[in-house]
Amino acid sequence: MSSTSVLKAGESAPKVLSLYRQLLRQGNQFAAYNFREYAKRRTRDAFRENKTVDDPRRVQELFQKGLRELQMLKRQTVISQFYESDRLVVEGGLSGKDNSGQEGIVRQKDTGWD
Amino acid sequence: MLRTAILRVARTAAVRPVAAASRLAVVAPTRSAFVAPKSIAWQAVRCYSAAGGLEKKEVYERIKLLLQGFDKVNDPTHITESAHFANDLGLDSLDTVEVVMAIEEEFSIEIPDKDADTIHSIDKAVEYILSQPDAN
Repeated sequence: MSSTSVLKAGESAPKVLSLYRQLLRQGNQFAAYNFREYAKRRTRDAFRENKTVDDPRRVQELFQKGLRELQMLKRQTVISQFYESDRLVVEGGLSGKDNSGQEGIVRQKDTGWD
Repeated sequence: MLRTAILRVARTAAVRPVAAASRLAVVAPTRSAFVAPKSIAWQAVRCYSAAGGLEKKEVYERIKLLLQGFDKVNDPTHITESAHFANDLGLDSLDTVEVVMAIEEEFSIEIPDKDADTIHSIDKAVEYILSQPDAN
């Protein structure tokens, strides 16, 4: 890790919040709905789970873990965007079953029995 | 000369559908027929380059609506124009980050870290949104 990412006592809070913000932003970049929601949920849960930790060494460890997760998210969101597929019905907006009669929007087609 | 001609054409074009509409609206014809043509005629000559602009009231209402949907706010009646996220609404610093991100999404802007850290209350957020020309 670079020296800028090392936490010093007393100045950890803004950096941790910044990491939290970066993780949520990056998680939002997933093309697939399930990965996107999981990444955001997992980030929220992990930060809430450890919000009472006050041992500086443990905070440092968790911060490094967060940075590794952020790197992983950056790689995986790029890959996810390569394999973009139709939006799901639960996502709302321009999505779901094609019953509008409009062309030009990639929509989910009826498959299976009809 | 040309300009007045264009305006006249635009105005008649704008008024005609309203006249047709008022014929259809049997229940409340008089008032809508009086008020509508003025505003539509004004809109007909509005330039596309004109900025929409955000009203302070509208920004506050949108932030309020957003906070009412946020389940961690302790009491929706505490949402006022000067409410502090932590002191009045019972949100912790992680919730504040989430609220600021939701505000970003609502007004389709991106707030950099150093500005996001200074937004701790509703009036600060409203003030920041109003200072951003890109916000809409």
